[in-house]
Amino acid sequence: MLSRVAENLYWFARYVRRAENLARLVGVGSQLQLDLPRSVKFMWQPMIDTVGGAALFKTRYPDAGSAPADVDVMRFLLLDEGNPSSLRRSIDTAREVMRSIRDTLPPQIWEVVTDLHMFLEGDAERLVTRRHRVDLISRIVDGCLKISGLVTATVSRDIGFQFMQFGTAIEQADMTTRIIDAGASGLVAPRKEEDRETFRNLQWMAVLSSLAADQTYRRYVRRRVTGEHALQFLLQSDTFPRSVYFCLTRMQRMLGAMPPRPDVKTKLDSLVDSIRSADPGALVVKNPASFMDEIQLELRELHDAVAGGYFNVAAA
Amino acid sequence: MDWTNYRSPAFDELIGADGGPRPAAGHLIAYLSKLSDRDVAARQVAASAIARVSGITFTVYSDGRNVDRPLPFDLIPRVLARSEWERTEAGLKQRIRALNLFISDVYGEQRIFKDKVVPAELLANSVNFRRECIGVKPPLGIWAHVCGSDLVRDADGKLYALEDNLRIPSGVSYMLENRIVAKRVFPELFETCTILPVDEYPMQLYETLAALSPRPGEQPVIVLLTPGVFNSAYFEHTYLAQAMGIELVEGSDLFVGEDDCTYMRTVYGPQRVDVIYRRVDDLFLDPEVFKPDSVLGVRGLMRSWRAGKVALANAPGAGVADDKVVFAYVPKMIEYYLGEDALLPNVPSFLCTDEGERRYVLDHLGELVVKPANESGGYGMLIGPRSTKKQRDKFRKLVVADPRNYIAQPTLSLSTVPIVTPRGPSPRHVDLRPFILSSSNIYVTTGGLTRVAMKRGSLVVNSSQGGGAKDTWVVDLEDAS
Repeated sequence: MLSRVAENLYWFARYVRRAENLARLVGVGSQLQLDLPRSVKFMWQPMIDTVGGAALFKTRYPDAGSAPADVDVMRFLLLDEGNPSSLRRSIDTAREVMRSIRDTLPPQIWEVVTDLHMFLEGDAERLVTRRHRVDLISRIVDGCLKISGLVTATVSRDIGFQFMQFGTAIEQADMTTRIIDAGASGLVAPRKEEDRETFRNLQWMAVLSSLAADQTYRRYVRRRVTGEHALQFLLQSDTFPRSVYFCLTRMQRMLGAMPPRPDVKTKLDSLVDSIRSADPGALVVKNPASFMDEIQLELRELHDAVAGGYFNVAAA
Repeated sequence: MDWTNYRSPAFDELIGADGGPRPAAGHLIAYLSKLSDRDVAARQVAASAIARVSGITFTVYSDGRNVDRPLPFDLIPRVLARSEWERTEAGLKQRIRALNLFISDVYGEQRIFKDKVVPAELLANSVNFRRECIGVKPPLGIWAHVCGSDLVRDADGKLYALEDNLRIPSGVSYMLENRIVAKRVFPELFETCTILPVDEYPMQLYETLAALSPRPGEQPVIVLLTPGVFNSAYFEHTYLAQAMGIELVEGSDLFVGEDDCTYMRTVYGPQRVDVIYRRVDDLFLDPEVFKPDSVLGVRGLMRSWRAGKVALANAPGAGVADDKVVFAYVPKMIEYYLGEDALLPNVPSFLCTDEGERRYVLDHLGELVVKPANESGGYGMLIGPRSTKKQRDKFRKLVVADPRNYIAQPTLSLSTVPIVTPRGPSPRHVDLRPFILSSSNIYVTTGGLTRVAMKRGSLVVNSSQGGGAKDTWVVDLEDAS
């Protein structure tokens, strides 16, 4: 397997998973917004921060101020070509990356990516309004899931498949920490003190559902949603496929089918330790943001180890 | 399908002068005659749909973006009798043997120039002569491993060689795909006629390449080097790589080590490459030797090749014989190197470097086809009988200014094959491009790619200029049931 092909497969899987998470996050935000009484304000800013776009958003929408309009945020997160973290750019990059490895993947995958690309280029703008937003989001999530389905159902289990799965897992681990981050930094701002507890839990509920975890959470945790339990579930569940722990241990199992690279294994093992030893109760009290930042940094280093070990093969 | 009004302005491949089918096309025409117009139309739609789904495309750059266009496919195959094809095949093998000997000679002793059979000035002015190849002895003495020769049939019914493409000939994937489409559309005919198969080409190509490996005895690592997704023949590159089960690589996937061996970057680490089927032009192959700004090639590749650590097919410099002026000397080469007469006649050529011939050309511009020596794709030509006075004046100046760069040939009438039109079968001009593989053995495709000018009366068959394709059947009449 050529390094270039492996790298493109890896990034293709990452961008598709990134797009799906982003669409879900925005979708849940826009649902949550409808549930809130007038006395509670929905905060879009944490979502913008999630993708690291705060500074850019300010320059793209200078008049937005501290409480940006949802249509602007929607456009920025989903459709803005000038925002490198927008959903549209994720889909376009996935498509560009796939172009030169089209022959290694089933042609239907190309058709779905192209369909998403055309949709975002053409119809999407019309659907940003509140009335059609659900359609817009579900169309994108469906497209991404169709790609994931085609990959698991039709791609042969060779080394290239491992790189795709690895890319999906590392991206999901990263996105899960980012979505936790957004939830913890306060998506809602109640004006009255007595509302604070109710709405804090409501926002954890939103975080769970943006990771498609709400139902599973209820079945396994069987408790009312609290920050501590939600955090524990999303970080440490060994059965939920979008928990950070699950993604990491999945990568550990994949390493067995990939050429051995000690750097990658060391990095991955230390990440698993960090997650396993985390104390969700303590984290939720003191604000999990800095812990999530640490995990994101470690995931970045894991990526660098993968790139160094498999993709950037230099002359010996 | 009604043939009563079918008349060709030239020699027709399927229908004889008496209006009846030629022997090899008998079955086909009888079968087509029984189909209603609606049947024919339905099958044409089916054929185009199959062709589209299988992704038979070529890439054209238009309106500022690359578009994959399907190659127009016409239902009615071109049919050749096996006996005629065998004679042609022998002629093609003879040609490529002589051409490979010529290229070896050019980069070796240059005997043919010393013996004044071919004028030495030819080299001095050749744009495809590569000084860097002098003295190199590639494996088996073969330079042009893959050759695509264009054949045309004139009004006299004889096949002539029109040119030999020795650089990076393309089109073979269309030949293979056209057959798949034809089998789906005419399964009955493949049962009743003996139509010789074409599908062993990828295996033959693999073996041709494998024979060049610098590490005989070991399973060779063979790759196809493509300029990338934006190349017009990218479809073919992926097609052939898949059919041979080899890696499709880009320049950045390869590097040359300090040991002069060529490696590809894989997830397992560097892996040595033995043979490169390169679909990148000479001048882009190695920025160390040729165009320094090329990003399509591999730094040090020429070093690796000259050291015999990697085989390149076709060898750099093979294009020296892919020149329309050199072409005119092929019959003399056959005589000189092989001591034989050419089995396959050349289209007669007038050399503008010869004073007498140049005067003839300039006096007869209205009757001749004038071609630049090194263009491909049918560009930059003058077709005398269809030219305006202004065009002829322009070519007169071009030829006088640079006689080495032009040859002239009589305007051939190019044979026709019927295509399906809403008003019944209608004749269109065709050529034929067989592919010839050379390493330890010489292999010729069965038939080849028939290119057809889809526009009525047009003589230009190139896909970039509105040409289409047909399946080509070599039919064994003795074996007919």
